[in-house]
Amino acid sequence: MKIIEIQNIKKTYNPDTVPVRALRGVDLEISKGEFTAIVGPSGSGKTTLLNIIGGLDKPDTGTVNINGTDVIKLSDNEMINFRRENIGFVFQSYNLIPVLTAKENVEFVMLLQNRDSKERESRSKSMLEAVGLSDKLDKRPAELSGGQQQRVAVARALAGTPAFVLADEPTANLDSESTANLLDIMAQLNDEEGMTFIFSTHDQRVIDRARRVVTLVDGNIESDVRK
Amino acid sequence: MLLKIAWRNIWRSRLRSLVVMGAIVIGAWAVLFLAGFQGGFVEGYVRNAIENQVSHLQVHHPGFREEKKIDFLIEGIDAKVAQLLENKTIKSATARTIVNGMLSSSKGARGVFINGVNPNTEPTVTKVHETIIDGDFLNQNKRNPILVSKKTAEKLKLKVRSKVVLTFQDKDNEILAGSFRVIGIFETSNAKFDEVNAYVVKKDVDRLLGFENQGHELAMLLNEPDSLLAAQEVISALLPDLKTETYQEISPDVRLFESQIQSSAYIILVIFMLALIFGIINTMLMAVLERTRELGMLMAVGMNKVKVYTMVVLETIMLGVIAAPLGIILAYLTINYFNKKGIDLSAYSEGMKEFGMAEMVYTTIAPSMYWQLGVAVFVTAVLASLYPAYKAISLRPVEAIRAI
Ligand SMILES: Nc1ncnc2c1ncn2[C@@H]1O[C@H](COP(=O)(O)OP(=O)(O)OP(=O)(O)O)[C@@H](O)[C@H]1O
Ligand SMILES: [Mg+2]
Repeated sequence: MKIIEIQNIKKTYNPDTVPVRALRGVDLEISKGEFTAIVGPSGSGKTTLLNIIGGLDKPDTGTVNINGTDVIKLSDNEMINFRRENIGFVFQSYNLIPVLTAKENVEFVMLLQNRDSKERESRSKSMLEAVGLSDKLDKRPAELSGGQQQRVAVARALAGTPAFVLADEPTANLDSESTANLLDIMAQLNDEEGMTFIFSTHDQRVIDRARRVVTLVDGNIESDVRK
Repeated sequence: MLLKIAWRNIWRSRLRSLVVMGAIVIGAWAVLFLAGFQGGFVEGYVRNAIENQVSHLQVHHPGFREEKKIDFLIEGIDAKVAQLLENKTIKSATARTIVNGMLSSSKGARGVFINGVNPNTEPTVTKVHETIIDGDFLNQNKRNPILVSKKTAEKLKLKVRSKVVLTFQDKDNEILAGSFRVIGIFETSNAKFDEVNAYVVKKDVDRLLGFENQGHELAMLLNEPDSLLAAQEVISALLPDLKTETYQEISPDVRLFESQIQSSAYIILVIFMLALIFGIINTMLMAVLERTRELGMLMAVGMNKVKVYTMVVLETIMLGVIAAPLGIILAYLTINYFNKKGIDLSAYSEGMKEFGMAEMVYTTIAPSMYWQLGVAVFVTAVLASLYPAYKAISLRPVEAIRAI
């Protein structure tokens, strides 16, 4: 089942001043349960592509169908609600609300989804357990290591039961042990729960763990390899 | 949860929150204290005017106040005083004969209102006897005593016991003259008033004028100053041929003064509010911009604009909920303190005397003003946070977080 279908998308930044053609006509389909890495040199358009898939940005031309919805037609506020219900995000940094504990952070998206408190309570605990942080429920982000913070972000992304999880360089700020650990958790969630992950990376070890690798060069897809 | 996040965000940057709370506390305090000061100032002025000059109510021949003609008389004035005193609303009453005349000494002459007063009943109505700075108050046993103001004494080089001559016209336009001796020198807080008034015993001036049981003015104080208008009606009915007027009608400048003070207080109030608004806009804007990435992340994961907006405004509301009552309590304490102790303005009172102002201001404020102005400051603070909150929701998540 296809959950992402994008066709011929183009995106140019600063079209009037110093135009930067970040995406030059990209087609991509992603099915449920895939574990995909978007790779490529710096400036090749990875972030731009993920932003468009995540409904954070819109292309200049082309079609973007996510989980059956033509997101280009959505207004800003509809887009926010769409993201809340359909997409889990793991950012490179500034993932968590600093004034909330790990558990409260995981609950937060469910709260925005208006889920009842019992479900929030049990689901936030089980998600944090799934990422191996059941002993850190009441810690604030500042009391957690970078790797632990990223794991909380993964737990938060999954807690909202999204169609897929997007992660732009989730390991960029992590040491190799934390990187391996985070990848283990993501791969396990992919195996056991069938959660779709799409992540960008520069890290060869992360690329090695991916089951599909999409390579971008100068705003075009150069290769798309399934292992 | 929004409440929880907003509450914790407040304590994230203590200094900034303290600045905002401080601004609200000071704003609420300043606005209230200003109102209290203004209230005390006006009340002092009105009290001064009533006690020293106009009393609560005055009765005259209907034409007297417009044209101070000597034959605009109140007949049977002694009986009328007695009649007034029978009325329960009236605390005290006194009769006066007032003529326009010339006061001369060997050093010069000045035009004055010669107030013929009853030395026994005058002190029950006005406080002229308390303003004597040298010598004594009028006394029936002395021959032709006169009270002159300090200003007049200086101009005419008069001392206690100096001799002066009063000249004025009687009702047939005959010039009359009488020789008087200064028994005391007075000084009120109204320099203009002092300049043109002198006091003699009513009987002495009556004798010169040939008045018998006649006079120009009845002045009285009420037991209940609040029932001014009701008392005016009662007395008008009692003395239908005469005109009964309140101090507000007699001294319209009291009203004018009140409104002038009020409008200058409004201007200061607006300045304070503007300072408060800009202070809060500034600090809350900083609070928002500092959290650009975090706010971008919140919108990326699905927090809608209404919620982000609410969160930012809630932070200011919470600061206001803590700070506004503190400001009100502080204002209550200082207003009460200066209500008892008074604020001494004697250092500035040379200039103030020209306007008949008291040297001490006893701050006073209507209790309802506490919550009214407190709410006004609170609302101002919250309004000031609307712009930073608007800024927060105009952030685009992609720009707020450069990487998803
Ligand atoms: N907001 C923007 N305004 C102008 N140019 C931009 C903007 N965002 C990205 N670009 C440019 O678009 C091109 C693609 O950028 P993008 O961030 O998608 O690349 P990337 O593959 O994610 O790079 P990196 O590996 O460094 O994160 C780059 O040349 C970048 O400089
Ligand atoms: Mg990037």
